[in-house]
Amino acid sequence: MLAYIATRVGRAIFTISLVLTFSFTILAATGDPALLIMSVDAPPEAIEAFRERYGLDASVWQQYIGYLGNLLQGNFGQSLRDGRDAWDVVVERIPLTLALTVPAFLLKIGIGIPAGIYAALHRNSFLDRLVMMISVAGYTVPSFVLGLILILVFAVNLGVLPSGGQDTWRHAILPIVTLGTAGAAIIARYTRSAMLEVLGQPYIRTARAKGVPWPKAVRRHALPNAAIPTLTVVGLMVGSLIAGAVVVESVFSWPGVGRLLISAVANRDLMIVQAILLLVAVCMVTSNLLVDIAYGLIDPRLRGRSGSRKT
Amino acid sequence: MPSDLQQRRDAEPRPLPESITHRRSAVRRFFDAWPPMVLMAIAWLTLMLIIALAADYIRPYDFKALDLRGRLQPPVFMGGSWRHILGSDELGRDVLSRLIESIRVSLLIALASTLIAAVVGVLLGFAAAHFRGIVEQLVQVLIDLQASMPFLIIALAVLAFFGNSLMLFVLLMGLHGWERIARISRGLAISANEQGYASAVRDLGAGPWRIYGRHILPNIAATLIVSMTLNFPEVILLESGLSFLGLGVQPPLTSLGNMVGYGREYMQTAAWILLAPAVVIIVTTLSVSILGDWLRDRLDPTLR
Amino acid sequence: MTSAPLISVSELRRTYKVKTTGGWFSPTAELKAVDGVSFDIRPGETLGLVGESGCGKSTTAKLVLGLIPATSGKVVFEGKPVAADSKRAWREQRRRMQMVYQDPLGALDRRLPVGAQAMEPLDIFGEGTKAERRDRMLALFDAVGLPRTSVDRYPHELSGGQRQRVVLARALMLRPSLLVCDEPISALDVSIQAQVINLLKDLQEQLGVAYLFISHDLKVVRHVSHRVAVMYLGRIVESGRPEAIMRAPAHPYSQALISAVPSPRARGKERIVLEGDPPSPVDIPKGCAFHPRCPLATDRCRSEAPELRPFGEQRHVACHRAGVSITSARGAA
Repeated sequence: MLAYIATRVGRAIFTISLVLTFSFTILAATGDPALLIMSVDAPPEAIEAFRERYGLDASVWQQYIGYLGNLLQGNFGQSLRDGRDAWDVVVERIPLTLALTVPAFLLKIGIGIPAGIYAALHRNSFLDRLVMMISVAGYTVPSFVLGLILILVFAVNLGVLPSGGQDTWRHAILPIVTLGTAGAAIIARYTRSAMLEVLGQPYIRTARAKGVPWPKAVRRHALPNAAIPTLTVVGLMVGSLIAGAVVVESVFSWPGVGRLLISAVANRDLMIVQAILLLVAVCMVTSNLLVDIAYGLIDPRLRGRSGSRKT
Repeated sequence: MPSDLQQRRDAEPRPLPESITHRRSAVRRFFDAWPPMVLMAIAWLTLMLIIALAADYIRPYDFKALDLRGRLQPPVFMGGSWRHILGSDELGRDVLSRLIESIRVSLLIALASTLIAAVVGVLLGFAAAHFRGIVEQLVQVLIDLQASMPFLIIALAVLAFFGNSLMLFVLLMGLHGWERIARISRGLAISANEQGYASAVRDLGAGPWRIYGRHILPNIAATLIVSMTLNFPEVILLESGLSFLGLGVQPPLTSLGNMVGYGREYMQTAAWILLAPAVVIIVTTLSVSILGDWLRDRLDPTLR
Repeated sequence: MTSAPLISVSELRRTYKVKTTGGWFSPTAELKAVDGVSFDIRPGETLGLVGESGCGKSTTAKLVLGLIPATSGKVVFEGKPVAADSKRAWREQRRRMQMVYQDPLGALDRRLPVGAQAMEPLDIFGEGTKAERRDRMLALFDAVGLPRTSVDRYPHELSGGQRQRVVLARALMLRPSLLVCDEPISALDVSIQAQVINLLKDLQEQLGVAYLFISHDLKVVRHVSHRVAVMYLGRIVESGRPEAIMRAPAHPYSQALISAVPSPRARGKERIVLEGDPPSPVDIPKGCAFHPRCPLATDRCRSEAPELRPFGEQRHVACHRAGVSITSARGAA
């Protein structure tokens, strides 16, 4: 078990270092940000001063070492636009994004898992078909279209909810519903197929043949086993709490990390983009890691291996 | 009355004429093999393909032609005139013509990107399977890296760093989903190498191009095609999402997401501008998904 | 039978490193799949290689063909060394040495018609024009007894025996001088086996090809082979002419193998039943590898490994007690 965790941690660190190298390489390869930012007719001295200020005049290796060193000290560079610390600019947006993604996440789980379990237990019933249809729609309707439809219905036609902004809690309802619907569809689909697979296993039949009542067989044997693949999907969604709202924030003019990213990309504010990229990478890799470890804790096969090694 | 009853009783067990039972079972057999949903999906995709190919001939107007006096005309079914069947936009451009052009652009990007992803994925997957060792580790690391990051974020970062051009955009979309195809083709190639037919051909003295190109690729093509159909709608959604955000296809070129994005400003007064492309996006991705699921069930039940 | 050998194998070894347990730092052990095998095959001759499954027969076949690299030892084929490096020399040798597999369905590509597959060696080496290749393929289909109509069939449309004929035709397409047959009939129906055996013998007469014929079935090997070598745990324990070995096996292991062959004459005779399974090739016993299962084993067998020594005419045995019969020893005890 320890070796297992160590391998996973090693892999996670390796992945993050790859993302770091990737972002640095791209940053270095995109040419001179000084020329991008300063106007064409800026005096050469001004450009030189700009370069010096942002450390753009050193060799690639020096830049890379300096880059890693800065990151280790929590220094992600300055926003090329207003000179503010990129990390600060990003961090102040995080609570706003979480205000959307965390409730949406709870909504996904709260609807997706029960719907998936219900659909699997009542296979081919009307409600199963309905759940599956909605979940296919959740796959194929892009979130910006869903968001716009919700705005059309609830803000434009009914006029009960605001169409954008973040002044009150009512502004958050539509974005949360938009985010939650697609995720719930995905989770429902996964849960259903995981449950169906487990219910078809011989040990369920054995339990039934032994005389275990159906509800108990489901509770004791099916649910824990179906939880493993579902946990994977849910875990990956945890990782996207920060990155998952890019489009939706844009639709609803919600000033979170996603919207910051879009405007940074449009303005080519590379330090901000990079800070967000690394933030997302760390979140994703960490949540992947936690899922892997949870897998190891839940899966009796891995547990069994650790036990046998001790003896 | 009794005679009537008698007749009916006689009539019941009498077998139906041969031709009728035959025709009916043939119809049923046809629909068993081709479910109506699948037929509709195929029909829709065929239509989209025709539109994409014949865009230049079936467009009623130039999609860039402005008509400032005929701005925001509603479509026919909302009380508009037949001049603009689907209405006109904020600059008086014909929505139908723009829609046709958008279908062409979005479909082309999705097709090209899916092909790029397939080529990249198959090459890397085969390389990993053929060389094993360090090459395989490297490919695995790339696959893990790609799978561990939300692709939208990667795409946005690349667009931020390199700026936007159509060529770059297509290549970027082509990076989506290669890892799935690479993973599948690596696994299948390894098992083919361990199975008889590939190693038998190698024992004959065949080179890797022949082994992989003539033998392994045709054997795993069905699975690859299925996973490409899974990739295709995702690319459409990704492209339209980025274009919606104004970071994908740039004006004067237009795409489905692009139309939705610009139409959003006029949502309250002229919802038709964004509804038509939105419907096309949804129905197209839905059709490809239905077709993909069906192909998967028919060609390769082992895939998930 | 005094001509120079077609292929000469000397002291061939192949070991694999295996981990004894599943962990990261667990010690590795050596698995000796083939442990010092030597033999010659002359042109047009058949050497039968017999042994239980896992004794290293198939590994030997792959080593001989250079499909996997040897740990040590040498294979010389038509005067040139065989090296498993997939380079030009190796590829060139494919023209002269080919392989026939146990499972003909697995060895054929199910997506190509069998005619195209049988022609593939000619395509690979670019021999002849398209028409010539087709003629040669059709001629070989005739030779192996396949109807010409089967050219456009797919493997799954043919019977097991027909598939093996396709594999044979493909292997013979480049007129090789050596064919390695790895259990070529064990996947076939019993009724088909005899046909394929006879076909192999006919083809040898017509084409003068030499066979290395690998089988676990002594009865089959005896039919086709000019000479037989019995393998046990990666080594040859006895070799010689099949009739001689069948009549009076000198090695106790050969005695056990032969007593297991059902035959009308053996009725009433005592069966020699070996105790236990063959030891793991990771942990080969000291001394004679066979001693834990050998009813004739002495102290010397437990400490000193016997070498393959001449024993009578054209015969070699690796046993300290060569020639002692297990049944008569039992009778004496």
